[in-house]
Amino acid sequence: MITAKQRAEFRTHFRYNVKKRLIIDKIATGIVIGFVALAIIPLGSILLEVTKNGSAALSIEFLTQIPGAIGTGEGGIGPAIQGTMLIIAASSMIGVPIGILSGIFLSEFGDNRYAKTIRFFNDVMAEFPSIVIGIFAFLVIVLVLGHFSLWAGAFALSIIMLPIIARTTEESLKLVPITYREAGYALGLKRWIIITRIVLSSAKSGMITGIMLAVARIGGETAPLIMTILGSSQFFSGFDGPIDALPLRIWRLSLLPYDSAQAQGWGAALILILIVLSVNIGVRYIFLRKSGGAGLFYFRSVKRRQR
Amino acid sequence: MSTTEGTFSPLNNLTPSDSDYKLIAENVIAKYNGVEAVKNVSIKFKNKAVTALIGPSGCGKTTLLRCLNRMHELTKGASLTGRVLLDGEDLYSNEQNPIVLRRKIGMVFQKPNPFPTMSIYDNVAAGLKLNGLKNKTIIDEIVRSCLEMSYLWDEVKNDLKKPGMSLSGGQQQRLCIARALAIQPEVLLMDEPASALDPLATQKIEEMITELKKEYTIIIVTHNMQQAMRVSDYTGFMYLGNLIEFGETRQIFENPKNETTAKYVQGQFG
Amino acid sequence: MTRLIDPSLNQLSSLMDKMGHLASQSINLALDSYLEGKQARNEVYELSKQISDLYDQIGNLTYEMILKYQPVASDFRLIRSSIEISYAFTRFGRYAFDITAVREMFGDLSECKNEVIYTISGEIKNMINIAIRCFATLDLEKAKQLKTDEDLVDKYYARHLPMLINSKNTKCALADALVLRYLERIADHAAFMAESVNYIVTGNRS
Repeated sequence: MITAKQRAEFRTHFRYNVKKRLIIDKIATGIVIGFVALAIIPLGSILLEVTKNGSAALSIEFLTQIPGAIGTGEGGIGPAIQGTMLIIAASSMIGVPIGILSGIFLSEFGDNRYAKTIRFFNDVMAEFPSIVIGIFAFLVIVLVLGHFSLWAGAFALSIIMLPIIARTTEESLKLVPITYREAGYALGLKRWIIITRIVLSSAKSGMITGIMLAVARIGGETAPLIMTILGSSQFFSGFDGPIDALPLRIWRLSLLPYDSAQAQGWGAALILILIVLSVNIGVRYIFLRKSGGAGLFYFRSVKRRQR
Repeated sequence: MSTTEGTFSPLNNLTPSDSDYKLIAENVIAKYNGVEAVKNVSIKFKNKAVTALIGPSGCGKTTLLRCLNRMHELTKGASLTGRVLLDGEDLYSNEQNPIVLRRKIGMVFQKPNPFPTMSIYDNVAAGLKLNGLKNKTIIDEIVRSCLEMSYLWDEVKNDLKKPGMSLSGGQQQRLCIARALAIQPEVLLMDEPASALDPLATQKIEEMITELKKEYTIIIVTHNMQQAMRVSDYTGFMYLGNLIEFGETRQIFENPKNETTAKYVQGQFG
Repeated sequence: MTRLIDPSLNQLSSLMDKMGHLASQSINLALDSYLEGKQARNEVYELSKQISDLYDQIGNLTYEMILKYQPVASDFRLIRSSIEISYAFTRFGRYAFDITAVREMFGDLSECKNEVIYTISGEIKNMINIAIRCFATLDLEKAKQLKTDEDLVDKYYARHLPMLINSKNTKCALADALVLRYLERIADHAAFMAESVNYIVTGNRS
């Protein structure tokens, strides 16, 4: 038993450390904040540069017209905007369902060696160089069909999307505590109902984040697009021909030596950022705004409690 | 060396269709990865009565409870031998569909777990709606009667669309009980239902159990002996996977026949 | 392992011990003084009062234990029986006092032979000692013995009380009758103590 006297004696050893530690604490906090600022600076400066240089080129004509003659500064990036929207949509149509289902498999049915192998290859696929994926799509789709097309591009981009969505879906689902699944079983619910109606809806916000990450990633991919959709100066005219996309257009414009082309390039970059941003916000708004529908998000934001 | 004593005789002599007993466990051995957690336990649970399972941590009482509605097999590496008879039918026979039989036996867990993305109404109706019941009138009626049985109706009746998670801990647990009752089970299994709650909430739950036992067979796992004394008619004491003693609650706590039981209830366990 | 309830149980045990000895003392004193024709009223009164105080103390202690510790099984049976037995002890003290009061009320009893009382008083004293030791050691054998002893006392009482009607000396007969009655009651309580001990050990109430 430690007596009061002994405690007082022990305590005399403690005190002097504290002042030093407070200073270290402040320094550490300062360093952390410093690095955060350092990290934000590039992001902030990119946004500033793009906005500064790109807003000058914005106009209705810019957004809706096909590109004019090279070097004239006329025309716009209409087809590129349309193309980017189309290719994001098409890739998502392929990549999102497969990705989510893979994530569900890995999380809910994934206790065996088979699943471990899939998980491993999934992680490998996530790190594939996108140009290699582009070449693969070129060989498998473009050469076989004989032409560049939307589907070739969607195919390539969905391969990039898939591992990201699968992994984030799996992680989000795993975050849902087991007790909710057990409650579902105890009610005599079928396994699939438990997964879709209970677990998935609880993991919604995490999954949406994963999908948005994937969308933002493919929105900016350029290399695979070169070999699958090629780029064009016309609006979308069918599934059997090349289309344009913003990353391609930005690349092409930035290579031209004309100032007007450069300005259009900046404008296109700004539009690309705005598109990804608005898709993100829009989807969050639609899926997460219902009260009680924010899933695990909700736990942190509950303020009122009643008896 | 047999350590199973008690006021009931071995089940070999009794017919499975003994109508006084709603649920009968026969020679249940439950394992996790080959390690026995429940060692050859046989119990008969009386109809429309409350049976409590007590014992120190790790004695197998929760495992036994989960064997009764086939939740045990959901754990990876879990295995079971023996029979569990509900109204005379073996729940573990090959003809039984575990999903269907779990609707006959409701379960309430230690930590309240209302579905986080659903409102109060949807939580109670979950077992109905998600199983395909569409008739809104019936669902409304069932939701209301279950919330009334859980002593929760008066507190939530004005806003059933509120999220289930916005209630206090005690209310959430009562919500979970209402949810379990909604699927119209015959038996209610409760795994330490009040251990995460404050005394007032605990009291409400105990009052509810005393009321519910008029129509339901209730099996409650608890480590609170006074709670077992207050709410249960029969008590089973388990230790290290064995059922050491089983009998009327009054007898177990006033005059336990087994020495280990006497030591445990008097707090003499090391 | 010392449980929270153990110090209180020890305290209860020592209080019951004290009470038992006082009860035994008071009865012995009362009977001896009656048979020897001596006056012992005040002494016995003192003892009886001490017994009463202990009864209050035991009451407080047992209620506190029940409220605080919610005892079960043999702890509970012990506490419940202690309450009942401590009441029996107060009765002993009371009857001891009543016996001394007889001499007081009736005045001079030197001519009475007190044979009836003399014969049975040894038995009664013995019974009380056995009862106290039976409770202290929770000895079932002694408990059984007390039952048979009580039967004997009952028979003795039933036989001798009517015989007093034919006694020549009314005063003596009445005094004897009263004391005999008190002794029968004391034996009854001693037998009741035996039943309590049986309850503590086996959990059965007959």
